[in-house]
Amino acid sequence: MNNSSSEQSRMLKDISIIDFTLVELNEYLDTHPHDRQAMEYFNHYARIKNQMARDFSARYFPLTADMSTDTREWNWVLSPMPWESSFGEGGCK
Amino acid sequence: MWNYEKRLQFPVNIKEPNAKLAQVIMSQYGGPDGEMGASMRYLSQRYATPYREVSGLLTDIGTEELAHLEMVAAIVHQLTRNLSMEEIEKCGFAPYYTDHTIGIWPQAAGGVPFNACEFQSKGDVITDLFEDMAADGTPL
Amino acid sequence: MQDYNFDERFEHYPIAMAYVPWQHLSQIYENLEEAFEIGTIFPELDKPFTGRRVIS
Repeated sequence: MNNSSSEQSRMLKDISIIDFTLVELNEYLDTHPHDRQAMEYFNHYARIKNQMARDFSARYFPLTADMSTDTREWNWVLSPMPWESSFGEGGCK
Repeated sequence: MWNYEKRLQFPVNIKEPNAKLAQVIMSQYGGPDGEMGASMRYLSQRYATPYREVSGLLTDIGTEELAHLEMVAAIVHQLTRNLSMEEIEKCGFAPYYTDHTIGIWPQAAGGVPFNACEFQSKGDVITDLFEDMAADGTPL
Repeated sequence: MQDYNFDERFEHYPIAMAYVPWQHLSQIYENLEEAFEIGTIFPELDKPFTGRRVIS
């Protein structure tokens, strides 16, 4: 794996780590809707994740379709699907 | 309504294909305690609850289970790449392979196709929550 | 659903019914990457499965 693709994996993993924290806090807040400390944590990490997702989408490929800023190629469809292995050939090309 | 984020919740990178393992893991996709059952269960039960805390939670967990479903399918997909016919027969994967080759099709380990009998949605919030614990709870 | 009864004195609870204790937010793992690998951000929910029983 070359340097820039491992940078990409690292960035995607960091986004996944923050988003996982958000999912956990989200589900906790669903049954504790007045817990202010949990809401502060959530809002803090949500801001970070949104920024990271926007940065990733600008640099590599859109993480959600609405983060696309493409004008020449529709990378939402051309970028690898999440189940494609990094160990080579997959079903889709 | 649903949006899609183009990444797996947790990364999946299988180094060695393994048809035998794929056979077993397929049950986590379409079997009685699998992720398809889990997501359908929560997403179906959420309509009948009188409390927003519960319908909200069931919505959010049901959505997360769809992401888990995706990871299990990714695991099976990567486990079944580049298999030789010899490997497929030796590992007992031939029955599934005959009907689906490397396609992903939800079934239990014993071959029962995924169906709504794998979960329950009774319209009573307490009953439904106990069904959730029975299906998803940690063994004690 | 508004009754967050944190006062859990189980000897006062009616028999022949099942209950689920309420989670309180005490802390979350500081190292989020570690929490990601463990599979929960809540230390009190970190209960590794050992094959037959759960460590609690």
